[in-house]
Amino acid sequence: MNSNINFNELWAKQKTGEPNKEELLSKINKFKKSNLKRLIITNLLLIITSLFIIFIWVYYQPQMITTKIGIILTVLAMVIFVIAYNQSFALFRKTTNTQSNSEYLKNLIAIKAKQQFMQTTMLYLYFVLLSTGIGLYMYEYTQLMTAFWGIFAYGITSIWILFNWFYLRPKQIKKQQSKLDEIIGKFEMLNEQLNEKE
Amino acid sequence: MVFEDIYKAYWQKIFRLCMGYINDYDLAQDMAQETFIIVWQQLPKFRNEANISTWIFRIASNKCLRQIEKQNRFLKAELPINLKEEKEEKEEKEENIEPQIQFLYKCISELPETDRIIISLELENIKQSEIAIIVGLSEVNIRVKIHRIKEKLTQKFKENEQ
Repeated sequence: MNSNINFNELWAKQKTGEPNKEELLSKINKFKKSNLKRLIITNLLLIITSLFIIFIWVYYQPQMITTKIGIILTVLAMVIFVIAYNQSFALFRKTTNTQSNSEYLKNLIAIKAKQQFMQTTMLYLYFVLLSTGIGLYMYEYTQLMTAFWGIFAYGITSIWILFNWFYLRPKQIKKQQSKLDEIIGKFEMLNEQLNEKE
Repeated sequence: MVFEDIYKAYWQKIFRLCMGYINDYDLAQDMAQETFIIVWQQLPKFRNEANISTWIFRIASNKCLRQIEKQNRFLKAELPINLKEEKEEKEEKEENIEPQIQFLYKCISELPETDRIIISLELENIKQSEIAIIVGLSEVNIRVKIHRIKEKLTQKFKENEQ
């Protein structure tokens, strides 16, 4: 192969202007800021929701234990969801990109699978907790209504929950799954390339 | 190790690796910059037990491999025609280098993803034992792969000449 040396020379001729360091530093800063922003936004969401619930608790002074349990379950559902959601992204931040390509790919595949599991399980848990929470929470207030309106209120809520459970939840899961499946497939394809027997 | 020294010493090399992988000037620059952001982040964790060049090339090549996650989004969104033309004009300007160089990078970017990394490192004059550590394959394996890739490239160049 007499053109071996040629390739190396050709290769090295490709040059690019070195972007000035300021540009890179500003990118680094932007990156730091956006990470911080995300952290603040997630936490803000949690704090605001919790404050809102506490406000309801204090302001309306629920009497029955069901209402209190309902409130706790609802908050729990939201907290668990947000935490799980963040953690599934944090998995990536923890991967060491200083592994060899083959280890890195295997790691990515494992993480994606974990993420897939987490997202479906968490979504399930979220719906169960939220529906039970709302159901319990409503009980005290429907007691004050006439039987007709009580049943009406529960009926509407059940329809809404069933719609979520049978329509939105599977749709959401499907969307996440197909996205993750696609990515896992791609990483597996890359991994295959390295596993080929020579 | 000071970040600025690393940056100076490795910028071109990392850019070429990304360019060989993606064959898109702007995208390669972005990927190279993102690589250096990771390098900057991870540098405090770097211990001298590894070779700094191995360490950096691992980060860069892993960054390239992750690119596959984003690629679909690029392909799906076709560029509007006028933008495309602008882009082509721009490319002509900035890549007014020997067509042979362009051809080499084009050929490399058409190889299977991991082969692109292996050949790019080889052309960057990195020892095969080091490439083996970067990629995570045996040295024998790497040698065989490099040989085959070079054969493929030579063939493509020959076809191109005709």
